[in-house]
Amino acid sequence: MGSVTEPFPISRIAGRYLLFDIDVISYARRTHNTCGVLIGTLPNLSQQNVFLGIPLELMPEEARVLIERGHAYIVDDEETHRKGFLQMSREDRLAYLQYMDELGLEASMESKRKLEERAAKALKGKDLSSSLKQKHAGPAPSEATSNGDEESLFDSSEPGVQPKASQSNLIPHFITPATSYPPLSHPPVDRGLPLPEVPRSYPLFRYMHSKGYFSTPGLRFGCHYTIYPGDPLRFHSHFLATGLDWDEEFDLLDVIGGGRLGTGVKKSYLLGGEDPTADAVTEQSDNGASVEVRPVRTFSIEWAGM
Amino acid sequence: MTTLPPGLKPAVLPSPLQNLIVEKLEQSADSVHLSDLHALALQVEHNLRYQHSWTDLHIHTHSPISNQLLPRPLVSGLPPQRLYIHPDEQIELLKNADRKRKASKQAQDTLDVEVAPEPEWVLPTRLNEKWTLRRLSDVFNAISIVPPTADENGTPNPWRTTKRVLLATTDSDSTITYYIVHDGVVKPRQN
Repeated sequence: MGSVTEPFPISRIAGRYLLFDIDVISYARRTHNTCGVLIGTLPNLSQQNVFLGIPLELMPEEARVLIERGHAYIVDDEETHRKGFLQMSREDRLAYLQYMDELGLEASMESKRKLEERAAKALKGKDLSSSLKQKHAGPAPSEATSNGDEESLFDSSEPGVQPKASQSNLIPHFITPATSYPPLSHPPVDRGLPLPEVPRSYPLFRYMHSKGYFSTPGLRFGCHYTIYPGDPLRFHSHFLATGLDWDEEFDLLDVIGGGRLGTGVKKSYLLGGEDPTADAVTEQSDNGASVEVRPVRTFSIEWAGM
Repeated sequence: MTTLPPGLKPAVLPSPLQNLIVEKLEQSADSVHLSDLHALALQVEHNLRYQHSWTDLHIHTHSPISNQLLPRPLVSGLPPQRLYIHPDEQIELLKNADRKRKASKQAQDTLDVEVAPEPEWVLPTRLNEKWTLRRLSDVFNAISIVPPTADENGTPNPWRTTKRVLLATTDSDSTITYYIVHDGVVKPRQN
């Protein structure tokens, strides 16, 4: 894992908040309990991809918390790219392309080396298997034809057939960089960009985040956030949270429905919101950034079982 | 009730519960809350007493902390069994029970967890009401962690550190459902 320096940039593209750097993604998850959702997929075959990759999309709430606490800043990525690549000099561009080619050649050699290693291993195995074959050297011909695939597999790994790797006939792999900050310089922190717009449930999110909880979108349970006491890969969630305004009316039927659903899946239904009547307090984060927040009041609801 | 000619019964008799509530409302000196809220408290109290076998039931009109008027009458009572066990307390109880079982040295002994029931606050509501966080927090601000009881000699449960209220919601068909509402972030029970 490479090192990440704070504040790290969050790319804003078409109103979404995205992270492209795998180091930053794991850093945000480890140190700032921010999960986000991986959304990267094969462009043409998005239906066929079970496991999604980078980029990581952050909820506006997540992006805002990170920015308010001074851990990250927004970058208008479209503008940065347009400017950065249009103003790039020809030499820089060629140098970068050359660098990518070198990386590609390295990757290509690495895969070749691995292939040879595997072949060597298979050969060792074959010595053993061929001696076995000689012992049972009876019913060869019919079996050999039926196992044609296997035979050809063995043939190809025979000594002498495998060509030795040489740099001249290697085709460099094409490298697709996930981030564009090696060619471009890191964009400067621009305080002029507005904070991410967040829904009314934001105070509850901020409050739970400050207590070290992890949150994921709550659509699956019909609430705003599913809240975990630790990394979602290690823990079951504890709360189905709905954030409300202090004077926002809610139906008791929703409370009962949420409470009953939550209890059914061993969770609590959490209602919460910012108390505007209480005095704002200043919260200091570890990097010196301070935020003025009003206290949040929460209520956990469970079925009484009677 | 309108007077009927002698010997004639009314077409629809009021239910015993309705009679009880009307009777109690006339007796009660609680004129500080609206009578429908007081009737609601009476209905919930009746349900707890006769359907759920609660005892030591009281209707509170004033806050036990500030002695100010409550937003609405609240009920307090003692359930027949413990209503809520915090997951951490449960672990402790199970450990104690296991220790006891090992001490008795009888392998066929079952794991006996002994928990005494605790008095609870009950917040009577109607399903067609709308609530807000402000109203809910007004209720919680006015109550103590444990409702005041006649016998003060019982030792308080050290695990009971947050306020909790039993939310009793009645529908027009007199069904009542009960939900536990905790003040603050309280982790769920693992049932």
